[in-house]
Amino acid sequence: MENEFFFNYDTMPDPMDRVDGKMKVTGAAKYASEHPVEDVHYGVLVGSTIARGVIKNIDTKAAERAPGVIGVLTYLNSPKVPGYDAGGNPVKGRTTGQPLRVFYDEVIYFNGQPIALVVADTFERAVHAASLVRTQYDAEKHSTDINANLDKAVYPRGRSNDYTRGNADAYKTAPVKIEAEYIVPVEVHLPMELHSIIAKWDAEDKVTVYDKTQGVKSTQRSIMQAFKLPEQNVQVYAPFVGGGFGSALRTWPHEIAALLGAKKTGKPVKLVLGRDQMFTMVGYRPYTIQKFGIGATADGKIIGMSHEAISQTSTYEEFTEGTVNMTRFLYDVPNVFTRYKIIPLDVSTPTWMRGPGEATGSFALESAIDELAYALNMDPLELRLKNYAETDPEKNRPFSSKFLKDAYQLGADKIGWYKRNRQPRSMQENGWLAGYGMSTGTFSASRGNASASARLSADGKLVIQSAVADSGPGTATVMTQIASETVGWPANKITFELGDSSLPPGPTQGGSTTTSTEGSAVHAVSVALQKKLGELAIKASPGFSNAKTEDLVFDNGKVILSTNKTTTVSFTDILKHNSLNQVEVTSDSKSLNDQKYSMYSFSVHFVKVLVNPLTGVVKVNRAVSVADAGRIVNEKTAASQIIGGVTGGIGMALMEEGILDNRYGRWINNNFADYHVPVSADVPDIDSLFVNKPDPIINPMGAKGMGEIALIGFAAAVTNAVYHATGKRIRSLPVTLDKLI
Amino acid sequence: MQPDQQPPCPHEENACDHKHDDRRTFLKKSSFLAAVALTPAPLIKAAEKKADEKIAAYFETVPVNLEINGKQHSLKVEPRTTLLDLLREQLDLTGTKKGCDWGQCGACTVHVNGKRVLSCLSLAVMQDGKKITTIEGLASGEQLHPMQEAFIKYDGFQCGYCTPGQIMSAVACVREGHAHSEDQIREYMSGNICRCGAYRNIVDAISEVNKGGQNI
Amino acid sequence: MITFDYIKPSANKAAIDAIMKNQNAMFIAGGTNLVDLMKRGITTPEKLVDINNLPLKGVNKSNNILSIGALTLNSEVAEHETVVKQFPLLSMALKAGASPQIRNMATVGGNMMQRTRCPYFYDTSMPCNKRAPGTGCGALHGYNRMHAIFGMSEQCIAVHPSDMCVALVALDAVVTVSGPKGERKIPFASFHRLPGDHPEKDNTLEKGELITSVEIKENNFSKHAYYLKVRDRASYAFALVSVAAALDIQNNIIHDARLAMGGVAHKPWRLKAAENILKGKPATEASFRLAAQMAMQGAKAFEYNAFKLKLAPNSIIEALTLASKA
Repeated sequence: MENEFFFNYDTMPDPMDRVDGKMKVTGAAKYASEHPVEDVHYGVLVGSTIARGVIKNIDTKAAERAPGVIGVLTYLNSPKVPGYDAGGNPVKGRTTGQPLRVFYDEVIYFNGQPIALVVADTFERAVHAASLVRTQYDAEKHSTDINANLDKAVYPRGRSNDYTRGNADAYKTAPVKIEAEYIVPVEVHLPMELHSIIAKWDAEDKVTVYDKTQGVKSTQRSIMQAFKLPEQNVQVYAPFVGGGFGSALRTWPHEIAALLGAKKTGKPVKLVLGRDQMFTMVGYRPYTIQKFGIGATADGKIIGMSHEAISQTSTYEEFTEGTVNMTRFLYDVPNVFTRYKIIPLDVSTPTWMRGPGEATGSFALESAIDELAYALNMDPLELRLKNYAETDPEKNRPFSSKFLKDAYQLGADKIGWYKRNRQPRSMQENGWLAGYGMSTGTFSASRGNASASARLSADGKLVIQSAVADSGPGTATVMTQIASETVGWPANKITFELGDSSLPPGPTQGGSTTTSTEGSAVHAVSVALQKKLGELAIKASPGFSNAKTEDLVFDNGKVILSTNKTTTVSFTDILKHNSLNQVEVTSDSKSLNDQKYSMYSFSVHFVKVLVNPLTGVVKVNRAVSVADAGRIVNEKTAASQIIGGVTGGIGMALMEEGILDNRYGRWINNNFADYHVPVSADVPDIDSLFVNKPDPIINPMGAKGMGEIALIGFAAAVTNAVYHATGKRIRSLPVTLDKLI
Repeated sequence: MQPDQQPPCPHEENACDHKHDDRRTFLKKSSFLAAVALTPAPLIKAAEKKADEKIAAYFETVPVNLEINGKQHSLKVEPRTTLLDLLREQLDLTGTKKGCDWGQCGACTVHVNGKRVLSCLSLAVMQDGKKITTIEGLASGEQLHPMQEAFIKYDGFQCGYCTPGQIMSAVACVREGHAHSEDQIREYMSGNICRCGAYRNIVDAISEVNKGGQNI
Repeated sequence: MITFDYIKPSANKAAIDAIMKNQNAMFIAGGTNLVDLMKRGITTPEKLVDINNLPLKGVNKSNNILSIGALTLNSEVAEHETVVKQFPLLSMALKAGASPQIRNMATVGGNMMQRTRCPYFYDTSMPCNKRAPGTGCGALHGYNRMHAIFGMSEQCIAVHPSDMCVALVALDAVVTVSGPKGERKIPFASFHRLPGDHPEKDNTLEKGELITSVEIKENNFSKHAYYLKVRDRASYAFALVSVAAALDIQNNIIHDARLAMGGVAHKPWRLKAAENILKGKPATEASFRLAAQMAMQGAKAFEYNAFKLKLAPNSIIEALTLASKA
């Protein structure tokens, strides 16, 4: 891609406030369950209380008789889902196997599986009636404990098995080596908005849903496939999405259940999951055991690494993620072995959670690097620099951009890395042990297909549209800026519309690709709009009739004739001259499949912790995170992504752990009081820094991804700091105080 | 008696007791009727059930007077209806959010008689005669409240779902005098979970409003 | 939630009578625990007697006795000038509890009445003798990280979750209750009970009894007091272990001491033997260690809470140290 396509940041104003900020701070923003729909009824799901077996009898009579109830659905009376019978994957995520078919038959695959839907005229009545459903089961012996089933680990289907570069065992004979096992427990996304949907059948074969989804087009496709409907008969709205972190990346059984409930009762159905149901119905980060081996020469050149991960999935569906992938390319190591296996258990299917796979994998890799550094008596940052990969050692090709060294430098300077005493347990503050730790994160950067339309009206309003969803990063804001900069039109006259499946197709918001993918489409449509305006100027604007398109310059809302710079015309005047009320263009932007480069974002985390020597309480006292994410379009929203990732990382490092009672296969801490996520008092001052150098390959903006790298690696920075503070190496997350006393 | 002729129940002493005892008696009787009607045609059953429900619903609601965002509301609610569900499902005041429904996240924070409380753990019937302020009542027309302005300026949110609760809590935090240091703000804002992790920016926003010293 | 009747009387007697008339009637004040329990089908009252109109609000001090009305909000007590200055232990404990919003709803009486946070108690599909007597204790051989190390029985190993009550038991508070048979006073240490064979009963209140006030005598513990709450996150979490420590130090000698723990037993756990050890000793780490050691006598752990055997004494040392330096 040519340099002239670069987004011109020099002309950008100070970071823009969010365009939807006012809606969010006044309560005007409408999330999935909040859209006014006439005659809406309330659906409440009943979950199974066994983990494996079959329903012997399900008695819904009392629920049906309860006041206000208009329907109780079970596998015995539910309308059929045509997509289920076709044997396909109607609610497909990128997993193999069969997604859970809700109300399909009597089989129970996990504890908490939806087995009935009660629909009533008020929420209170639906909740009460749901408590009246009585179920008897033929229970079978279940397996939910990964550690008790290690012998059942298998390679995922249809996946290349192991990765070997050089000699897999090379690390074992290295002069200095570390072998250790690291555990990341189940973590749950728990966005603040409960997963919700309003489903309304407009006709026998036509449906409208207001849904919590990170992808309006992907949800539309899932519903089309499930109910065999044409695209124009499935309308999905998600104008505001109250967080997701991956949980709203795919279509889940409760969404199909609401559609079935609405079909059965003939009424629009609003279904909001309970917080406890957020643990069983919309995925989680799987429990993963990792064995890591690493060996180096005495002067710190890493000779070999071996990284094996075993993770969990459900019995009905395979879920996999890139847990071991970053070990293959993050450092310049000649001998690398990776292996990834999964164990099917009687649990619901996991799904991608922020920094999927890599967040888990980086905990092992970046802990092992730190352990090796101490074993070598070498500064952990020095060890990383010594093994810095200038090119991608896995694919043997250059990186599209890599400014990780800049990031290391920025972060180390900011936190005062070199001022610390490197000896473990050597620093104290007010009676607390103090320690510093660091880590690296990386995640692939890419660009997918997207379309956008632009419509300029005679009154100067420019509307850009695309069917993308925004679960929080600030997509509409960033797209408005890209359009403003590219078209040369003031941001306050631009509206970016999203969250509507009838708009030109946009991407699902996930994998740190929205700015790259959607931004490229907005850039393309902005350029197309200029081109169209140029043509119209030549057609009807005074002084342009003989101009050639290549003689036109677009600047600040005007078309200028480069051959005679006094000949100018404003965009809105062009419409007038053509007697047009508006002009509209639509553009596609294609995915980038460049085989010449490896494309990744990188991050560096520096952390200072304080540990109470008596109680073992750990406080993250300071955090500095630096992103090499290409050009930063909006420093304000980008900084929010970083501090958000760091906050999530504090949770991952210190407190988050989904706990199952394996006797019942049932969650023990399925609520916000027992599953701890960070509160304000857990989060210190966080410095978010950006290298802010454009990637010349990935897209016209030069922007790589941001969301995942903000979290990836952070947990290891904390445990590394805890080691520096206490001399204790914690290899099993989270670092609760019991592990330190 | 027609529903609209129902005398207001003052919730005083046993004044409502009588009515509710009536309800129980009625329900017992009507279940008896329903039992008798078990054998006849389903249509009759359905008709009876519908009548039952209307009468049951009537007996199950009690009148409540609330001043919400300066406006008087005379409502009839079931005693089990929470203030949160009343706001969201009956009054279309959806700015107040449901994040857990169990008093564990703070998304439903509103002001009742000037104090920040959790509307998910507040029964609407118990708020009779009180003044409720929700996020929708914070701005004066188009003029945003200083805390709302500060949240925008410091980007004190991402997805925006916890934001109304954060802002209602933040306003109370300053008014209570609990915003004198960043650490104090952190502690006194810890009842509001933000999963996007905007805490640092929220602390900045509250600090600025507190330092501004304006009467909020 | 089931439907229920609702009344709001304005005299204590009317409220008590209403409870006596209905086997399944309950008082409701702040509702911060009861509404939650009702939502989850754990408590299913047929009638709620809203006591918020009863004349039970306010903090007063006279004749060297601090009297706190049962309906006084947790936040009001925590911020009350007299409490902050003369009974800082109580103020600190209250501020360590829940969140500002919940403290604005929860009353002093309600705080005492709150039920355990044991996860087996909260999940109606799991066994729990406290919720459903005779079904067994899910925690005994289950996930018992939060659970008791003192005073448990085979029937129940749950802990009382209150912070305020830990301070009140340390300060020898007295509870005044009104009931169908009149008024009586209950020493705080006798208000909550150990589970024994009846874990369904959290306290010694009888049917129809209404908490009207809590009283604390003036004391010499206002200078050296500390409430330490150790938990899995910095705020808005229940205690793994908490310690209420108050010292009367004169010339660096401990003249008198008060010590109690939360998160370790079915009731707030007063540590009298440890207090006695401290009396007459210098306010030094060595003394505090001795007290911590004494406090742990008879402690017993389960699979997941063994760490409390170390955390509890360490927390006592930390709390006493911080109290002595306060």
